[in-house]
Amino acid sequence: MDQLLQLFWIFLKVNLLSTSGPASVGLLYHETVGKLVTEAQFVQAVGLSSVLPGSDALQLAMYIGYAVGGIPGGFVALIASILPPTVIILGVTVILSRLRRQAWISNFVDGLAPAISVLMLFTAWKIFEKGGSTGWEAWAIGLVSLAAMASEKIPERIVIIITGVIGAIFLS
Amino acid sequence: MKTSKFYVWFRLLWMFLKVNILSPSGPASIGLLYKEAVGKIMTEERFVEAVGFSNFLPGSEALKLAMFVGFAAGGVPGVFTALLGAIIPPTILMLIVSVILQRLQHENWLDSFVAGMSPAVAALIVVVAFQLFRASSRKKVDHRILLIAVSSAAAFWLEVPSPAVLIGAGILGIILFGRRQS
Repeated sequence: MDQLLQLFWIFLKVNLLSTSGPASVGLLYHETVGKLVTEAQFVQAVGLSSVLPGSDALQLAMYIGYAVGGIPGGFVALIASILPPTVIILGVTVILSRLRRQAWISNFVDGLAPAISVLMLFTAWKIFEKGGSTGWEAWAIGLVSLAAMASEKIPERIVIIITGVIGAIFLS
Repeated sequence: MKTSKFYVWFRLLWMFLKVNILSPSGPASIGLLYKEAVGKIMTEERFVEAVGFSNFLPGSEALKLAMFVGFAAGGVPGVFTALLGAIIPPTILMLIVSVILQRLQHENWLDSFVAGMSPAVAALIVVVAFQLFRASSRKKVDHRILLIAVSSAAAFWLEVPSPAVLIGAGILGIILFGRRQS
């Protein structure tokens, strides 16, 4: 029960403090890895949620929820992720015209964006560093996939799948 | 043209099921959603407004966008219909995959699969971080944004709890960006 409450609070917090699905990865890493899930489970969760169709953020949440507390955990994480945007949207649609002139909310979110980007860079480094080996193989895989994704010619999920297969074949 | 409420709800549910099965992530769904919704259940202007608002409020982009479109087409019940359509596909998929993966947790090949995937996942996060940095609604990277980025980097380095850093960055945003507008 304690863990479910903890899950609920974490996902509520993460969804209030991140501007979009993929942006929640950094914060989620800090809140869960080493406490609720292992590094490997987290990498699996991020990899999978970008491979499967549908909202990344929700899949990430459910996978972590499931890893922590089984099916109830998955649903708790889902509900906690949905709650903040739903309440906000319902509120916003009601007072839409008034809110449009509220610059401070927009400024708050604009201030979040650079900090979230920085947090994600830290997270990326940690995942890379602890991902098993930081030998030349890992650097090669990392740099090639970075180039492939940044070029926007190869879909990210294809890159993720290929690197996993390469790992399964060569890194064992 | 008069259509029944139920028809609109059904249409919404089907549309979001389709969009969420076909698109890999939140931002990717915008293009598909545009084709499905604009001109049929909402105007272009409303759609642009929905995209704008989902960038500007906290929480998952894809969900907020879905709910805005739902509201435009069917009011508050439309919001819930859209939410349902957006949640069902990832939930079912993820539950199946989670159950399978937990069973495989101690297989050796899975460890190597994850070891290979880690650098790519790190690269993915870098790419998204960069996109986010560039796409934040201020078009130009000015000294304010750099100031926030550098000071939050310092705070993370000193291991200040990350929610505190983010809230601080938001408040810094209100202070710095607010001054320019007044």
